[in-house]
Amino acid sequence: MDQSQTSRSTQSSSLERWLGAATSPAVSALVLSFLICAVIILLSGENPIRAYGELWSGATTGAGPRTVINRGIPIVAMALAISIPFRSGIINLGGEGQFVLGGFAAAVVAINLDAPGPLVIFVSFLVAAIVGAVWGLLPAVGQTWLRLPILISSLLLNTPARALASYLTKNYFADPAATSTSTEALPASTRIPTISWLSGASASALGVAVLVAAIYAFNRRTAPGYQSHISGINLKFSEYGGVGVSRQTILSMGSGGAIAGMAGAHMILGQSGRFVDYDLVGTGFAWTGLLVALLALHRAIPILAAGLFFAALQVGGLAMQRNTGVSWQLAQVLQAVVILALAMQIAPRLWRRRSSADVASHDTDEYGSATG
Amino acid sequence: MSLAVSSETPELELRRVTKRYPGVVANDDVSLSVRSGEIHAIVGENGAGKSTLMSILYGLVSPDEGEILVRGDLVEFRSTLDAIDAGLGMVHQEFKLFPTMTVAENVVYGHEPRSGWLIDRNLANNQVAELAEGYGLGVDPLATVEDLRVGVLQRVEILKALYRDARVLILDEPTAVLTPQERDSLFEVLRRLRDDGRTIIFITHKLNEVMALSDRVTVLRRGQVVLRVNTAGTSPGQLSTAMTGRSVDTSVRPADHDSGEALLCVNSLSIDDSNGIRRVRDVSFEVAAGEIVGIAAVAGSGQSELVEAIVGLRRPTEGSVALAGNDLAGHGVSGHRAAGISFIPENRHRVGSAGSATTSENLLMGYQWQPRFHKAGWLRRKVVAQHADELIKSYDIKVSGPNQKVGELSGGNLQKVVVARELAHETSILVAEQPTRGVDVGAIEFIHAQLVAQRDADRGVLLISAELWEILALSTRILVMFEGQIVAELDPTMTNEAEIGLYMTGAHTQWVDAETLGT
Repeated sequence: MDQSQTSRSTQSSSLERWLGAATSPAVSALVLSFLICAVIILLSGENPIRAYGELWSGATTGAGPRTVINRGIPIVAMALAISIPFRSGIINLGGEGQFVLGGFAAAVVAINLDAPGPLVIFVSFLVAAIVGAVWGLLPAVGQTWLRLPILISSLLLNTPARALASYLTKNYFADPAATSTSTEALPASTRIPTISWLSGASASALGVAVLVAAIYAFNRRTAPGYQSHISGINLKFSEYGGVGVSRQTILSMGSGGAIAGMAGAHMILGQSGRFVDYDLVGTGFAWTGLLVALLALHRAIPILAAGLFFAALQVGGLAMQRNTGVSWQLAQVLQAVVILALAMQIAPRLWRRRSSADVASHDTDEYGSATG
Repeated sequence: MSLAVSSETPELELRRVTKRYPGVVANDDVSLSVRSGEIHAIVGENGAGKSTLMSILYGLVSPDEGEILVRGDLVEFRSTLDAIDAGLGMVHQEFKLFPTMTVAENVVYGHEPRSGWLIDRNLANNQVAELAEGYGLGVDPLATVEDLRVGVLQRVEILKALYRDARVLILDEPTAVLTPQERDSLFEVLRRLRDDGRTIIFITHKLNEVMALSDRVTVLRRGQVVLRVNTAGTSPGQLSTAMTGRSVDTSVRPADHDSGEALLCVNSLSIDDSNGIRRVRDVSFEVAAGEIVGIAAVAGSGQSELVEAIVGLRRPTEGSVALAGNDLAGHGVSGHRAAGISFIPENRHRVGSAGSATTSENLLMGYQWQPRFHKAGWLRRKVVAQHADELIKSYDIKVSGPNQKVGELSGGNLQKVVVARELAHETSILVAEQPTRGVDVGAIEFIHAQLVAQRDADRGVLLISAELWEILALSTRILVMFEGQIVAELDPTMTNEAEIGLYMTGAHTQWVDAETLGT
């Protein structure tokens, strides 16, 4: 890491040198993005310093921290859900479907199960996890048994997931009093409590923290975590070493789906209090989570940091719009620029590392099997 | 700069070229002068800097210091396109061809002859046919590339360079994939090209080829030029001493006792590939304790599929693989490994390692579920680290530490990682597929010693190699495969490369009754 850092700095662009403070790719990417957006704000006739000030205070003062954490919960959870299969080399684009169906299932359980609140919450999450896992397993089974690529099948399954939740809500669980297609409101006893010492954010934050720690430990300390790491680098090497790749695919897609389903359950029990058709899709959390997972290179701790950062950008962006003439869309532009800048910082580094490794091993490369 | 270009002006010259990578000087003050119309061999061990030098010559990397001159003119290669424009052509080990297109289409790609807006196919076909005929390359321009044998593909690559009018042809380890017969005819072609006035740079570490083909030799060691000689004035011994810095002994001590009981039994094994084509037909043999069984075969004769079935990567269509009497059917790789089969795969990059994983992680693979390495699924990190340290030390793997990524290692060192991992667990059978392919003389010596040590420790070794001298030197018995069948069993003391080559290519068949094999 240090070596690539020094080799980079010798050939870094003049812009980077000018920035000077570019100690890490992430920091320099952030600085660069904020500078670019400052220019955009200037062009739209506003004061970027004031706009960024509002962005900052919007995310850090008043209701800001609570909102940031509440928004961060589903983003981080979805990123973790997607990172599990991603880390072993499986590109799973089905997070949205698992998220929506998990949320729907949790709502149905919470409304219909007549039991003490904590038990209802527990069962709702359990059922949401099962439903999410099943939806995640469909493409996994399709790949291992029928050789349907997960990349495609998982993406395609998002549409029927939405449609199924929508159809069932409309025809069997609709609240006649509601103006939009939605279930009835959940009983108050089934709502997830808030935590006062966490700025009044949802208690689900603790669940996410436990999840981050568990996934970190799994990735770094366990034999299956080691296997999935190796599979993500070179699947053929994994197979050669005796890793049961089909089993790994099933387990990682299933557990990723379970987490996505629970993230959906949190959205209902922890936030909206009822399942409203299309609401979960509309948040875009599944896709923000995907971006976070990609940017964090599927590692648990960076996912937590990046997820909270993106949540803060969104929350601060709303404040910026309220208090200045700068529209909320600019926060989205900023988010996009950050992603691009980070991707530009990270991708060439990986690419360069790979190509220098190629040069080092070129002497002896034998690609005979490809031509034989 | 070039006021008078005399006949003495080198075709290609490098002056005091230095290229540094973090932690290594890949080329250290290297000067190289290649005369017009000669075959110039560049030899050196892995990591000696041959590939960096080649990448500099072909515009893939730019040197930190030094100059490149083509026919006396100072040049600067910003990309390979500049190198091609300067008249350089490269034949890589990995062929860069479009498999579904014809030979002619591949050859003219990027420089297509046109009539108006359209590619003039007839002209292209004729040009390629003419070019092929002129140098005795014997390639049909209308053949589809994916149908061609490796030896022919290489000729297509040569044609590609010639079509772009390369005056200097650089060949990187060109014989690694060829049969002895194909190698001889490649040498014929290269000599014809030289006699036509073209210049050949031939990168290799096979000294017999250097002696047979080249006019002059440059030897690299640790990034520096250590020897420049006329081939006629040197010997393999001098070259190998220059390459390694010491004298190397590649002879192998014969077994001091007879083979023991049969360990690995392959019974009537037949394998169909995913297209239903039969790759292995009714193969039976045994590997006993204390012997090295060599399998000689041309690439694509079914030996890869056979190996995959033996190590559990592939399910046989018919027949079985048994170890010490236990049928391993349906056990998968982990079952085969647990039963006691370790495996050095042919391709250490694609199969035998994970480049961006650490040395320690690479050394663990395959054994992560051994009780000593985990407790209820939690890795015992101290034991894993200790294991890596021990192997790095005892196999003299040159790494900065157990956390260095193996993608940064030289080929010979990476192969040591693979060999160390597979030998560490002292399994009863070792399957070694091309274990010394593309590694230098010193590493070959080391790996051969390890295989012989396995044999002497009464374990069984199945050696698959296209290097016939290796098969001849190491094997207790030799099996020859052709088109998925074992066509001969030979005694290494009673045969030679020429005879094996004839069986390998199907020219001879010694129909051996399956029952008499393996005893």
